[in-house]
Amino acid sequence: MLDFFRDGFYKDLVILLVITILLGAGFSQGIAWAIDAYFGDTLDQMIGEYGEYDLILHIRDEAKEAALRELQRIGEQSFPGYKLNQTLTIAGQANVFFGLPPEYRTREVLESITSLFGAVPGLSGYTLIVQPSVLIRGVHPGVREELREQFEALPGVRFAVKDGSNLLVLADGEDALPGVSAQIEQILGQYQILELRFPMGFAVDTQEVGEQALEILRAQERPRGNRYANITSAQYGEDLDAFLTTLVEMRDFLGSYASKVRIAPGPGVNLAVGERIVLEGETELAEELIVEVTGVFGDLGEGMIIQGSPVQSMDRVAYKGFRLLGEGERGEFIGDVEIENERYRLAYAVDESLRLLAELEELAVQASAAVDNAEAVLVTFQEALMQLEVLQVQMRQLNEGITQGDAKPSGEQFLITLLLNGLFQTLAQSVLNNGEQSLDSLQNLDIEEMRRSLDGISTQIANVQEIDVAAIMEQIGFVRDTLPDLSDAEIGQSIRLINTYLGGQVIPGERVQLLIQGERLNEKELEKIFQAELETPYLHTYSTSAGMVSPDARGEIFRILKEVRSIVAGLLAIIFTMIVLALDHATIFSTLKQLRAGRKAAAKRWLRLVDPLLLLGGLVGCAVLSSIYYLAGGQIPLFSPAVIAVLGFGLGVVLVVFAERFSPVDSMELMAAQSLGLSHVQIMREVVIPPSRPGLLNLLNRFKQQF
Amino acid sequence: MLQIRDLHKSYGKAAALAGVDLDVAKGETVVIMGPSGCGKSTLIRCVNRLTEPDSGSIILGGQDVLALTGPELQQFRRKVGFVFQHFNLIARLTVLDNVMFHLVLAGMDRDQARERALAALDKVGLKAAAERKPGQLSGGQQQRVGIARALAAHPEIMLWDEPTASLDPILVGEVLEVMEELVKHSGTTMVIVTHEVSFALRAAHRIVFMDRGKVVEEGEPERVFAQPRSEIAALYKKLLMN
Ligand SMILES: Nc1ncnc2c1ncn2[C@@H]1O[C@H](COP(=O)(O)OP(=O)(O)OP(=O)(O)O)[C@@H](O)[C@H]1O
Ligand SMILES: [Mg+2]
Repeated sequence: MLDFFRDGFYKDLVILLVITILLGAGFSQGIAWAIDAYFGDTLDQMIGEYGEYDLILHIRDEAKEAALRELQRIGEQSFPGYKLNQTLTIAGQANVFFGLPPEYRTREVLESITSLFGAVPGLSGYTLIVQPSVLIRGVHPGVREELREQFEALPGVRFAVKDGSNLLVLADGEDALPGVSAQIEQILGQYQILELRFPMGFAVDTQEVGEQALEILRAQERPRGNRYANITSAQYGEDLDAFLTTLVEMRDFLGSYASKVRIAPGPGVNLAVGERIVLEGETELAEELIVEVTGVFGDLGEGMIIQGSPVQSMDRVAYKGFRLLGEGERGEFIGDVEIENERYRLAYAVDESLRLLAELEELAVQASAAVDNAEAVLVTFQEALMQLEVLQVQMRQLNEGITQGDAKPSGEQFLITLLLNGLFQTLAQSVLNNGEQSLDSLQNLDIEEMRRSLDGISTQIANVQEIDVAAIMEQIGFVRDTLPDLSDAEIGQSIRLINTYLGGQVIPGERVQLLIQGERLNEKELEKIFQAELETPYLHTYSTSAGMVSPDARGEIFRILKEVRSIVAGLLAIIFTMIVLALDHATIFSTLKQLRAGRKAAAKRWLRLVDPLLLLGGLVGCAVLSSIYYLAGGQIPLFSPAVIAVLGFGLGVVLVVFAERFSPVDSMELMAAQSLGLSHVQIMREVVIPPSRPGLLNLLNRFKQQF
Repeated sequence: MLQIRDLHKSYGKAAALAGVDLDVAKGETVVIMGPSGCGKSTLIRCVNRLTEPDSGSIILGGQDVLALTGPELQQFRRKVGFVFQHFNLIARLTVLDNVMFHLVLAGMDRDQARERALAALDKVGLKAAAERKPGQLSGGQQQRVGIARALAAHPEIMLWDEPTASLDPILVGEVLEVMEELVKHSGTTMVIVTHEVSFALRAAHRIVFMDRGKVVEEGEPERVFAQPRSEIAALYKKLLMN
């Protein structure tokens, strides 16, 4: 077999291999590079070149036009030389890239984006993408300033910007980034935040416990030289915690709003929490009423309705309870169950208030009218009284005149006097409705006083009328309408749902946060110590870092792109190798197989076992694929160089086995060529390769071929 | 000229040659006959090493053929003309190139090679077809090109492996004519495997009968057909009678 190559064909083969490998590598790398360049350019267009833009403003899509105008105004006014690029709209959210001129890339500007861009219509948030920078996420507020100072003191760092719970550390240049990043990691590595969590409803003075915990830490034998600080902060609440707290409150609210179910188990009946009871009322219920036991206190149980609606009543309604067995089957009698329909009561009370208010308003109107009447009567009365007085004086004068004037009253005068007195009395009677009282007693009435008090009443009524009863009624009506229109069953289901969710969560209770600077401590070991020392077995400890250096999104995208390129290059290397093997090397192996047909069987046994042709094919495949893969910079996950070598070898072996199928060689021509005394290299160049499949081998052969 | 001694060749367990001895004198024409599969082709292919024998010896023109390797073997093969049953022409080359290309590859100047090739084609009556491709020729013409290709190298010995066996009966005649002409006038040593009994009778100096990988009888044509000693020779005699 070796003399096949010896007479000169090896040179052709070496040239072929070298060109194949170079071409393969170039081809694979070229296409991968083109893909890279294409996507890279697209990305650049989308998100700008490295450091071109400094922030992405997230703007509601409908406000985009106005926002862009405003951004231009802000840019021209405050940041001459700014760059603006409106790019992607994702989920109704337009992302506008804004680039600050270098002189404005300062901490002051970057920390006041909210106020600087506050007037941009539709602005819902922003993301800082200032480069070159290192982003540290989730920086604990208790160490933020401390860390910022340390980061800013690092060589290669311009300054650090606080951005929400993140710190963005700006480096002098891109070259400085790896160093800065490493130093930041190192600093962060010295910080550990130890959190002691107490269960829900556990009342602790976090400051006090914090100090105690610090003492416990300091009292540890080892490690020495650590710094400990209590950084428990009241306002430090994560979203999840707030959410969970809200959920708990919601559950309690729903619970108080549900009908109260009291269960009085019969003698010898044991209630268990979670058990379900079917209720039977005096009247037939539309839907079966089922209650779940939520608590047992002594010989009384509490529950909540999980199916059906109770009777609408102000009073407690009594039912008979039966155990619920499996699929709606009714078990034995458990006891009496009373249900108080809180929602019905509330709704009733609200309705009553509304009615009362309506009546109050009516009453005020009527009262006001009554007072006005009373005043009019008083005035008339007073006027009548004054006329009576005048009349009385006139009558006295008349009387005196009668008696004094002519010494003796004439019979005529006497008659008039009598008449007048009678008239007066009738008048007085008609006014006072009291025949016994004289005008004098009438005159003793304090009419002015009466008028004053009437005025007071009038003012008060006016005040009542001034109250906007209609508005109050509207509000109460609103409250009534917005009272959750939930049935007991729905409330029960909701509570159960919330409980299921809360069940899997550490319900945030009180917590104490301690800063550890120096050697890291094992929080699980500490947990036991704290549990014992603080006498709180339910306490749990968690350890978090003071912040996480996070790869910047852009860098990530480019890293992924690079990975894609390596994978594409690797795949292309494999495909190229397959093509080259099938087109070119198959011809060679096919010829070798033909030539050896007339040969003696190998003398050595092992040579018969390990077909040297297969071995050669494997080696060629291995060499071609490994070289192209390596030169093209191929990197496919899980395809280590060893795997690639084995794969190449495998491809080579397959090539040899199926060589004639890939590239058939005319055995008659071959034999003729041999019989004519052609050397192997001549056989290849003149007889075998020219009619073979067009490929690199065929192409290169054109330069050598004589016929 | 050619001495073959105790030549053995087997394919797996089946023996194609089971100890063949054969001598051919310079200028002699030997016809080898025998039933299909008796090892005739294997034998003559061993002579120019298209097939590697397992053991035995072949001496040609004083050269130990089996010891030759590489360029020596190629050099040797150029002195041995071989005519194939299926012509084995190079399909993509013209008739002329088919006849001259091996001369050029052996180092001959192109013009001289062309001259020789044209002369060879002339001998087989195909000078006019020089620029055609083998595919455009009839079987008989193709075989004549095959003969011309062997002749062009001016071989010391010519080996023929059933040159007419794959030809249409009508075309056999033209090839046999060329062969007879060559045998009678070229003086080249010939070893011809053929079933053409009458040709053998006319042209051969000696006929060798083979059976199951062995030479079973040999002798002058008249003698072997008149008094066959072996079954095979008797069979061929019958063939001749018909
Ligand atoms: N390449 C091969 N592989 C396996 N067996 C072979 C091979 N060539 C020939 N044989 C076997 O060797 C034996 C001799 O074959 P060979 O071709 O020499 O016979 P032959 O006399 O030329 O027959 P034919 O008249 O059919 O050409 C036959 O049995 C044949 O099957
Ligand atoms: Mg044969």
